[in-house]
Formats: sequence, C-alpha cells, structure tokens
Amino acid sequence: MELDHNIFFHLKFIETFMDQFRKYLYNTSLTESRDDMSEIALSVKGLTKQIRSKKIVDNVSFEVKKGEIFGLLGPNGAGKTTIIRMIVSLIKRTSGEVYISGKSLDEDFKGAMNEIGAIVENPEFYSYMTGYQNLVHYKRMSRKEIPEEKIMEVAGLVKLEGALKQKVKTYSLGMRQRLGVAQAILHSPFLLVLDEPTNGLDPQGIREFRDYLRTLAASGVSVLVSSHLLSEMELMCDRYAIIEKGKLIHIETMEETTGIQNNSLRDIIFTTDNSAMAIQAIEKQFDFAVSTMDSSRITVSAAYEDAAKINETLVKSGCKVYEIAFEKKTLEERFLELTNHGEEVENK
Amino acid sequence: MMALVQNEWMKIFARKSAWVYMLLIVAIVLVAAIFYNRIYGKDDPDWRAKIQQEIKADERLMQKDPDQYADLAQNIQRNQDYLKYNINPDAHSNWHFMNNVVIPLGSFVTLFSVIVGSANVSSEFATGTIKQLMIRPHERWKILLSKYIAVTAYSILLLAVLLVSGFVVGLIFQGAGGFHTKFIEDSLDFNNYQIKEIGPQFFLKFALYLPSLVMVSAIAFMLSTLFKSQALAVGIGIFALFITNTVGGILLFLMEKYHWVKFLIFPHLDLSVFAYQDKLAGGVTLPFSLAVLAVYYLVFMALTFWYFQKRDIAS
Repeated sequence: MELDHNIFFHLKFIETFMDQFRKYLYNTSLTESRDDMSEIALSVKGLTKQIRSKKIVDNVSFEVKKGEIFGLLGPNGAGKTTIIRMIVSLIKRTSGEVYISGKSLDEDFKGAMNEIGAIVENPEFYSYMTGYQNLVHYKRMSRKEIPEEKIMEVAGLVKLEGALKQKVKTYSLGMRQRLGVAQAILHSPFLLVLDEPTNGLDPQGIREFRDYLRTLAASGVSVLVSSHLLSEMELMCDRYAIIEKGKLIHIETMEETTGIQNNSLRDIIFTTDNSAMAIQAIEKQFDFAVSTMDSSRITVSAAYEDAAKINETLVKSGCKVYEIAFEKKTLEERFLELTNHGEEVENK
Repeated sequence: MMALVQNEWMKIFARKSAWVYMLLIVAIVLVAAIFYNRIYGKDDPDWRAKIQQEIKADERLMQKDPDQYADLAQNIQRNQDYLKYNINPDAHSNWHFMNNVVIPLGSFVTLFSVIVGSANVSSEFATGTIKQLMIRPHERWKILLSKYIAVTAYSILLLAVLLVSGFVVGLIFQGAGGFHTKFIEDSLDFNNYQIKEIGPQFFLKFALYLPSLVMVSAIAFMLSTLFKSQALAVGIGIFALFITNTVGGILLFLMEKYHWVKFLIFPHLDLSVFAYQDKLAGGVTLPFSLAVLAVYYLVFMALTFWYFQKRDIAS
C-alpha cells in the first residue's frame, strides 16, 4: 500500500511539473480543460427507447458529476429501469449516446463498460457457490488487473469476510445486498449504477447501504441510483432527475428542494410555554404570518435569519422558548408539485 | 476469453449434479457389465469341436429336409467362417464389451450433456444472474461462446469417463482382449454378416456417434438460449434423441419414397447405420449426411448467437 501511495505521489508530482512546463510553453493551462472533462462521470445524450410505436424512454439527457450521487425518481413504469438498463447495455438503445468517464459506449464498449459497477434490482448470485467464488467469478470478468487481496479488502468493507467461505444460499438478504455492493466496487469503477437497490432491505440494511454509498461517493465514485422510494432518495442523493412517462421533466439538487436557501420564507415552528402570549409578542414587533398549532406551538413564516430576531423578541417578552424548528420541504412534496399530482392529492 | 471459459467451467462443477452425472455413467457401466456377464457366461475352450458338431448336424438335416436348404446352408457357411477366421462366437473381452454395451450407453452421455448444456444458459435467466453477467466489459457473443465451449468440454469429459470406465470395467469383468480380434458383425436386418476387427469397429461406431451428440447438444443449447426454459430445451433435446431411435426406421422408409425427407435433420441424427452399411437409404451416403448436419448446425448456431447478441434483458 505504501508503495502505491509513493508511486501515486510521484506521478502527481510529474504531472504538476508537466503542467507547469506546458503553461510555460503555451501560456495556457491544459489541466483545467482536462479536469473539466473528467469531472463528468456519466453523460447521457438523447437517450430513447422505442418499442413498436411507443416511446418508453423519450430523449432523456443528463450528466452525473464525479463523486456525486444522482437519483432517478419516478413512479413505477415511468422508464427509470429502462434508462438504467440502456446505460449498462442490458437493453439496446433505439437512439442516443452514453459516455462513461468520457468513453462512448458505441465506440469503446469494453473501455466504457470496464468503468461501470452495477447492481440491477436485487443482486443475484450463483447460490450454489461460495461468496468468495462469486467474487472471483466477477474479478475474472473485469479487464482490470485486480490483485487477490482486493477481494478480501472489499469483503472487509462490506463486513462479509467471515461469510466468504459459505455458500451464497445460506446468506440473508442483507448479506446478499452487501455482496452485491462488493461485486460492484471490486474493480474500482468510476461509476456505480444501482437500480432499485433498497428493494426488500430492512431499515437497518437500508441505512448501511446508504452509508456505503456516502463513503464511496466521498472517495470520488459517482453513483446513479433509481428508486421510487422518495424518502429513501431524499437521504441518499445530491441531485435528482424526475422521470415521468419516459420523459425527464426536471433536474434539481436536494438542497434546492429541501430549501436551505437563506432568503426564502419558510415555516418556523416555535415551541414555547404559552402560544397566545408568543403570538401577541411577535405580532407587535413584526408583520410575519403567524398561526397557532396548539397551546405550546406556533408557526411563523419567515426567513432563516429572522428566527434569531423572533427568538430574541419572545425571550424579552417573557416567553420560555423550548425549541425552534424549520419545516423542511420534503422531496415527496416537491415531487408531487413537479409531477402535477399535488392537486389530485389535495382534492382527495 | 480464457477467463470466461474458466468461469463457466467453475460454475458447472460447483454444482453437485455435474459430479453425479459422471458417477452415474460409471454406475451404469458397472450394472451393464454385471448383466452382460450373467448372460454370456464363461469362455468355452472346446468351441471348435462344438461348431464342427453343429456343421455335421446341419448337413444331416439338409439331406432329410430339403425345404430348409437355404437357411441351413447359410448357417453352415457362417460356422465355417468361425472356424476359418478363428472366431469364437461366444468370445468376450473388454473390446467385445465396449463394442456391444458401451456404444449404446452413449445415449446417457447425450442425455446428461443436454441437461447440463441447457441448464447452463437457462438457469442464468431463471435466477437473474444473466444481468450480472452482461454488464461486464465483454461482448455478448463471447460470453455465450465461452458457455458453449465449457459445456462442450464437459461433454468430452463425460465421453472420456464412459470410455475409460467401459474399458476398465470390461477388463475386470471380461478380461483383456486383442484390439484386432476378428468377429462377425450381423447386418442390421440379420440377413447377412461381415467379418471385422473389433477395436477398429468400436472406434468407427464411436466416431459415428459423435455427430449426433454434437447436434442434439446444439439443439438443446439453442432452445435454452432462445426460450430461456430448461424444461423445453431438455424435452425437445431428448425428443430429438429418441425420435431417431424409435421412428428412425419409418423415416428411412419414407426417404426411399419421398425425396425431401433426406433434407430433414432426423434421419441423420443416428449415423451408426454407416458402421454396418455404406448407404442410409435412398442413396444417402455418409458425406451427404454430414453435410446436411453441418448446414443445420451452422443455422442453429447462427440463430442462437444472433438472438443472444441482440435481445433485451428486461426481466
């Protein structure tokens, strides 16, 4: 390991040196443009799947940046799975292009596929073989040189070292899921593609799974994940796209959705000893919209910074403030808003 | 490519059934040897005297009953050939065992090859592991080819088990025999016979058995790829295997009458006929049969690989 780091360090050093040299020669930085290129782990352009006259996926384009967890959201049957399967070439594209870390699936199939690790639905294994044999099987299928120790390293990461010698048929669903993660990251891919990865996992399994993804993303792996479980995706993704009836209708970041921007108004809940007194105090000072929730809680519509001022006012006027909470907009609300199902829901 | 074949080989042998089939073949050979031994007792050292007696008896009968002249004359001729070529009619050795018993047992090799070959592709679909297989940096046709190579290698292994166990079990139960020992091989209709050497005749039959193994396995492999169903692949594979054994005679009869029947695959799936005679029926020779099989083989393989290459894996 140490040796590896050393080599890496040297390479980095040489690279920097070369860049300096180039700058000197051309007075331009080539690094910048190259870095921009490698910042995109996955680029999908005009992806379309047509079966007979029906377009199941219609002209979908998006990009996944390096180290980003990108979610594909949408109701069942919207085309998420078809998009994912076209990217991992389980399903043929009618038209459109897919680039994985800059390599085109059409022009450099092997090179592009070599950078993908994937779990498509529940990871299926050869249950009559041991976990170790299964990993060896996938190790052999990679075009990268994978040392033997890497298997143990990856198994350690997903806490399966102890079970590697057992047949997969003895594994629980959670263990299989972890083995699924192990086989997907065995060859250190650039891009991890996950289709409905938490299907059938218990809450603890889901949580572990999320933690793995966070760790991986932090180490520079990009993740494309699809799910119809919005609450799950809210916790998992950095950015998401909404797919509806085969079309990509919206892309935004999770921060935009849950609304942590400073200037916009949001609902702030104050828990005090006396709601009536609190409302009186606030209305005297500000002209925020205030409403009573119950005898101890009130809702104030205000900006982020206003929370402190309101608190000050309340304390000065003799209210005991126990809790200040921001009402977050959930992904679910945003999703329904964007897919125009919000009205339907309200009408019910 | 080597790594892919290695993977498939590992998957075949990770299943107990792969070992069970090999043991079964040995067991079947053993059981066959026990029965064969019971039926064809021990060598009679005085077989020459016995045959000479038989000839004399036949000659006497001939004078008494001229109606049976033709039959008796044939019998005498045959017995004289036994004496002339020094062929013990009741001889048994491991080569006799190979020739009479091991060749028919080849059907079991076909059966097990069909089962393993069709399970190889269809089980990947049934368990969903096909998805994990196809998201790797390898062309699909190469993945399928590696499967075909591994399955074929397994068939060859089963053949080797059959041959070696047949030879060894024959040696134990029947004793060693000369490779070039002469024997009388009856024609298929028992109206005639030829004098042949036992070892070469065995290998001729064995060689003529191979095309049917290749074809039936290829049919099963194709069906399991096209329909993802092992039951269907095994069923039709076995059907193809037995239809030639059961209605083969009818097909040969039809071939005399109808020209087009000789372009069907079924009459050519059992080439063992060529070990006894030069022509199948209706002027069909071995090269013609092999050519017909080759065309079918290429069509089956092209269809299998083309379909596998283009299909969507959606479930």
